[in-house]
Amino acid sequence: MTEISYDTNSKKLSSVGEPTEGLEIALGQVNTLTTALISETNPNFTPQPHEDVSKLIKNLFDSGLKNAQQNKFPEALKNVSLAIEMAQRKRAPWEAFAIQLKELQFMLRHKIDILLVLGRYLEALQDLDMLMNTGLIQPEVLIRKTDALLKLGQLDQARIECERGLTLQPQNAKLKALLMECTRKLADFNGEI
Amino acid sequence: MSFNDSSSGNSTFFEAEEHVETKIVSVYTPIIYGALLIIYLMIFASQYRKRRIKKMAELPSIFDENEARKLYFEVKQMSEEQTVHEKVIKALLLNRGAEAIRRSFKLKELEPQINMLYKSGSIGEDYWQRYQNEVKLAEVEFKETMMEAENLQQGWAQLFVALCKEICFNQALTRRYNSIFKRKEVCIKEWQLKIDGNGRLIQ
Amino acid sequence: MPQSYEYDEGSETWPFFVLTMLFVVLVPLSISQIYRLFLDRSNATEYGDPEQEKVQKILEEVNDEFVTEDVRVFRQAYEKSARSNIWSKRNIVLIVGWALVAFLIQRIRENDAIVASATGLFDPYALLGVSPSATDRDIKSAYRKLSVKFHPDKLSKDLGGEERARIEEMYVQISKAYEALTDEITKANYLTYGHPDGPQTVSHGIALPSFLVDRVASPVVILIYAVMLSIVLPYFVTKWWSRTNSFTKKGIHVKTASHFVDRLANFKPSEIVTVDLIVNWLSNAEEFKIIFPNLTAADFEELIHDHIDRTNNSRLKDPKVRFRIVSKCHSLLHGLLDLACGVRNTEIANATLETFKCIVQAVPHTPYRQILQLPNVNKEKFLEGSVDEIYTLGKLFTYEDKEIGKILGIDDEHKLKKTLTVASHIPHLKLIKADFLVPGEPQVTPSSTPHISVKFLVRSAKQKIIPPEKFPESMLEEPQDFEFQKDPFSILESQPPMPYSYAPFFPTKRRNALCCLVALQKDGKLIQTPVVIDKLSLQNLNKDFDKRQVKDLDENFKPEEWSIGTIKIPLGQPAPAETGDAFFRVIIKSTDYFTSDLDFTMTMQVRETPAQTEEKIIEYDEEDGTEDESSDDSDNDDDEEEDEDSDYTDIDTDTEVEEDAVDETK
Repeated sequence: MTEISYDTNSKKLSSVGEPTEGLEIALGQVNTLTTALISETNPNFTPQPHEDVSKLIKNLFDSGLKNAQQNKFPEALKNVSLAIEMAQRKRAPWEAFAIQLKELQFMLRHKIDILLVLGRYLEALQDLDMLMNTGLIQPEVLIRKTDALLKLGQLDQARIECERGLTLQPQNAKLKALLMECTRKLADFNGEI
Repeated sequence: MSFNDSSSGNSTFFEAEEHVETKIVSVYTPIIYGALLIIYLMIFASQYRKRRIKKMAELPSIFDENEARKLYFEVKQMSEEQTVHEKVIKALLLNRGAEAIRRSFKLKELEPQINMLYKSGSIGEDYWQRYQNEVKLAEVEFKETMMEAENLQQGWAQLFVALCKEICFNQALTRRYNSIFKRKEVCIKEWQLKIDGNGRLIQ
Repeated sequence: MPQSYEYDEGSETWPFFVLTMLFVVLVPLSISQIYRLFLDRSNATEYGDPEQEKVQKILEEVNDEFVTEDVRVFRQAYEKSARSNIWSKRNIVLIVGWALVAFLIQRIRENDAIVASATGLFDPYALLGVSPSATDRDIKSAYRKLSVKFHPDKLSKDLGGEERARIEEMYVQISKAYEALTDEITKANYLTYGHPDGPQTVSHGIALPSFLVDRVASPVVILIYAVMLSIVLPYFVTKWWSRTNSFTKKGIHVKTASHFVDRLANFKPSEIVTVDLIVNWLSNAEEFKIIFPNLTAADFEELIHDHIDRTNNSRLKDPKVRFRIVSKCHSLLHGLLDLACGVRNTEIANATLETFKCIVQAVPHTPYRQILQLPNVNKEKFLEGSVDEIYTLGKLFTYEDKEIGKILGIDDEHKLKKTLTVASHIPHLKLIKADFLVPGEPQVTPSSTPHISVKFLVRSAKQKIIPPEKFPESMLEEPQDFEFQKDPFSILESQPPMPYSYAPFFPTKRRNALCCLVALQKDGKLIQTPVVIDKLSLQNLNKDFDKRQVKDLDENFKPEEWSIGTIKIPLGQPAPAETGDAFFRVIIKSTDYFTSDLDFTMTMQVRETPAQTEEKIIEYDEEDGTEDESSDDSDNDDDEEEDEDSDYTDIDTDTEVEEDAVDETK
């Protein structure tokens, strides 16, 4: 059994010895909560989000967008990534989830577009998966996922995602074009002559 | 099959009358027999029940180790020897409450699926039992965390539940977000991709 | 009527009783054994289809060549144990049982009491020596003759008392018999009671031999009775009960099933399902622990990895251990697949089937798996030398044979030939069309029970691709007769069983199967348990139709020469009650080969009035794309219960309200 040690100064918990995956996650969650609680002065705090943090994140994100508009994509990516990171770190875990989710989804969508422009398809794919995992299943997301998968050479999976997108919006021209591209590439991949 | 040359009923009757002692026994025999049978069945039933209860108690949880709960009690114990900041205890309790909520949600979500699997015979009796146990345990755990919250801060329980709910979902989101790096590594390995320092594919 | 109970003093009844009991057991047992011995085996080898046999023969030839000695020995041992041995338990029971029957019959024949009681039966015709069909006149004359012969007055005085009594008795019997056939009253008596004198004493016997009820033996009988009732019977009943209880209906141990469900329930959706993960789950199966109680899950995991990677890193060097573990994976994977479908996880069900292929072919799940499942491939040369990206068999066959030899690093011409034989005999599926059908209806009506009908072409990777539209509509139609409408799934049974797979590394011979999964496109989750197809004609594989030689498709293609495969998948749930469209994803995967599996989307058009029945092409008005944003959420995963706003409006209320809200979203 792993021992738990407590640091009276930092008020952090840590495990003595190698923690299991579950314990490591639990410790991380508790420490995040402690940090947030210490900076919280109101004993009857509510899920209401903090205005100042929201503003901070928004500013950072907006500067990212501005960079993107000026075609400075690597900088834009840095800004947007940082904004997302800050939302994850600075926000208290009890701040309204619905708001946090909306915020994250919104920022991720922009991050994905920047990643795709930069050709970082694998990262874009992970962010797209994350979006879909949070219930955001939309033709726009599936268009990007199909595109990323095609670029990564995962043709079968690309076709599957594209078909799923078409069930959401059967007339989507982009998805139709992508489906044709999938079929064409798959025919070549499978040597279908 | 009938025997034409059998002795008549009368003669058997007389024969029985001759053996008086066997007649006496025959009065008690059914009582003894019945008593023995009942005792035997009672012993069997009680043994069976005992063993069942013991087995039920030994059934493992359907969830992996409840680290949040374990951590809470470990630190609680620790706080008797050294001072642990009150907010740390609060953080531990919130985490425990969030986990309790996650479990009850998960159980609700699993319910129709477990039902279906049990009915189709894909899972055995013991998993079904484990599921039922877990539902009760989750309820108890949830009430317990609420009581602890009330103890920690008067009148907090109501708000505590709302907070735990938000924490539960936000933690899930964070876990998902934190898994991105690992997922990337798995994809690189599975698809044998070559990625350069800028995250671009090497063709 | 006087009645009495008595024990079987003369051993007249109990042999019959025992005989009856024996027959009750022996007759069904013998019939099933005879069936197993003769009918079953002939069934296993006969395809009833020469084309299928040809495929089987070709594959078997190559297979035999690549099977290692160890596997061969294991297979032989396995087959021997599987085939009914002459001295198996069943046969011994049969032999002893029938010997007992013979003995009992012999005993009954020798038993005077039984013979006596049998002859003691009154048969007036036999007594008079006439046939039952004799006329009154015949009876009269027969009686007269006999009565003259046996009349007591006519007997000679020399006869002894005993003989005299016997003859007198005979005379009485003859008179009675005559009366029975002529006199009205006696005849009536004879017909009702079987005796001319009227009712006879009926006695009820207990079919226990008298020696068992004698005073000395009776405590023993009671003791045996008590032991039987209180120990033996409960023992066997509990044993039987626990045995039926320890395996699920899908044939895996309940503990294994529990473990799998645990893993599925605790599975984090943030994780990517890989073959390694599935192997890790498998290695904790209770079945392995039962066979090898001394080994650990880590050992089993290493053994399975050794098998897949064709390495030998495990500390356990005995191939038999490895083979037993690997061969057990078959039922475990089917069990896991069933459970994954039960918890509706498409990703895990897919990964389970991929793991199945890896284990059957002993090929790791790399992008080059299609190529690496072929025999003789020089892995290093192939991976180094490939200039073009060749991942599939179809791509491989775009090169000339010689070139393929170079690509795969095979120098020997004979070896290359074998490799190409395998490559061209791995069945690939090409979808022609798929429809939702309701027997007797032109289209899917609300709340009807449709099934999925998939028409496809089984083809070799070597063959030229034939576009679906080249097949005339008449070839794709289903019979419309009543028999077919009654049971549309009978079409599956008419196919020959699939031939043994090319799988030289798998410890037992096995047949390929197709697993059909159905998911909803809306939430991406499976909706029913897998349908396993194990009968399918592969006759198309015998055709050459080499894509490197056939240049003009229309000139060389004759549709009637090709066989079209049909798969029918019953749907576990009825069509929606409202008209509209529902989208399904259908996955048809081979269990044994890395090949082009089918994975396609189907639209179920639920219409009230007769309308068009075409369902393949997705065509209608634009939908509100953002609508789905809120449709699906929490049930994606175990811990991501993120929902749309509506759930959070009542955030400060009691938990029950929120639980209901979550329920609604499912």
